[in-house]
Amino acid sequence: MGNLVEIKKLSKNYFNKKALDNLDLNIEEGKVLGILGPNGSGKTTLIKILTGLLRQSKGEVLIDGHNVGVYTKSIVSYLPDRNFLYNWMTIEDAFKFYIDFYSDFDLKRGEELLDFMKLGKDMKITSLSKGMTEKLNLTLVLSRKAKLYILDEPIAGVDPVARDQILDAIIKNYDSNSSMIITTHLVRDMENLFDDVAFLKDGGIILKGNAEKLREEKGKSIDEIYKEIFSK
Amino acid sequence: MGKYIKYEIKGTYKVILGILAIVLIATTVLYNYTAKKEFSIIIALASMLIFGTFLSAFLYIVGSFRKELYEDRGYLTFTLPLTGNQILGAKLIVAFMWFFLLGSITVSYNIFMLAKTSGEMINFKELLSLINGSEIISFAIMILISGISTLILIYFSMALGRVTLKNKKIGGMWFIIFLVLSTIIAWIQMKIVTISPYYINLKDWSIVNSNISSLFQIEMGSSSLMFSTGEYSYVNILGFVTNIIAGIILFLGTGHIIENKIDL
Repeated sequence: MGNLVEIKKLSKNYFNKKALDNLDLNIEEGKVLGILGPNGSGKTTLIKILTGLLRQSKGEVLIDGHNVGVYTKSIVSYLPDRNFLYNWMTIEDAFKFYIDFYSDFDLKRGEELLDFMKLGKDMKITSLSKGMTEKLNLTLVLSRKAKLYILDEPIAGVDPVARDQILDAIIKNYDSNSSMIITTHLVRDMENLFDDVAFLKDGGIILKGNAEKLREEKGKSIDEIYKEIFSK
Repeated sequence: MGKYIKYEIKGTYKVILGILAIVLIATTVLYNYTAKKEFSIIIALASMLIFGTFLSAFLYIVGSFRKELYEDRGYLTFTLPLTGNQILGAKLIVAFMWFFLLGSITVSYNIFMLAKTSGEMINFKELLSLINGSEIISFAIMILISGISTLILIYFSMALGRVTLKNKKIGGMWFIIFLVLSTIIAWIQMKIVTISPYYINLKDWSIVNSNISSLFQIEMGSSSLMFSTGEYSYVNILGFVTNIIAGIILFLGTGHIIENKIDL
């Protein structure tokens, strides 16, 4: 399997602060990578560079062999950590919007997911609770048959029932030919999803590898490794 | 880009139609309740209303671009598989469309109300024959183009303000950039108009040199881009071309910033 994403010596500076520092990371085709780290470790900065919302200060990012741009945006399905849909929309409008802009959008899958999430198409975006918004955003993102899914903190700030539903939806709808990047600090809830993990601290990767191998080597769960690293 | 235009219209039409409804009601009230007063007052008030309509629509459109740069909706807009020029182009086309719609409806409604309240129904054919159609149209086009260039300049200033002051949401920064750039562009334009004093007459498309024509020396002291003698309207050819070139450069600059420079 080749690498879908190749990140070389990536740095991002905000004035004097280094958000990412000489980061190297590859993501293989068909793999789910968990990027784990506490708030402020650089997870969201990395994701934003991959999605074209931020520019790197140094280094190279290639997705499917291309620099971040119009092409990569067409093959990346991105779930931001906020409500990013336009306020005037209903769920129906949001669906139409995705169908219009992303040729890989699978309407059937979308409708099934919407049903599963117990959301109605006539609901207005502004009337949704935080958990419902998260479910809708995930519905839209997972309904695309994208080459790369990028989920930024998909279960942060939602109640445990919604959390289970969201995790279920990710497992059931994830296309095994695609790759996925999930950032989180809620490791225990999500660790079973990951093929590979990368621990991010102060803008650099301090440990990465196959999740199963790491568990074997250390005799600990990923969650325990996470706590060990970040409680220091 | 066509699809983005569609969603740009969907996202803005309610407010624009709201503005239109308010101005039409206000115009109706104005003509009905002040019918017995002097027409000059009505015309003055009606002109203010039209100006107010444009100003509110303009502020709304400028504000919605600002929201893309400073609010969460940018996460959707700027991750779409579209180039910066496509996003910007769609926004400008829709803005142009709204200004055109608002302008034509409010002006026609005013003519209609004027005809209705002046006591005798004016024959519209007669009315139209009094006005030089081609001159009005070319003048309106010039104004629309100037309006759009101003809008591009504002968008450019906003995008530049967002890039130069990363993460610092200083609201008025773009306005300072806008003022500085407008001054520079106006200065360049003035220089060009002085160097090339050739004006085109919008009525008969004849070209006149303002340094030679006595008409110009009476009507205008200094060099300006557009001017009207009441009978004829003139536009400086090279000055207007400069305006268009500046617009194109600023458009491409804004598109480039949106696509390659913005850090959300």
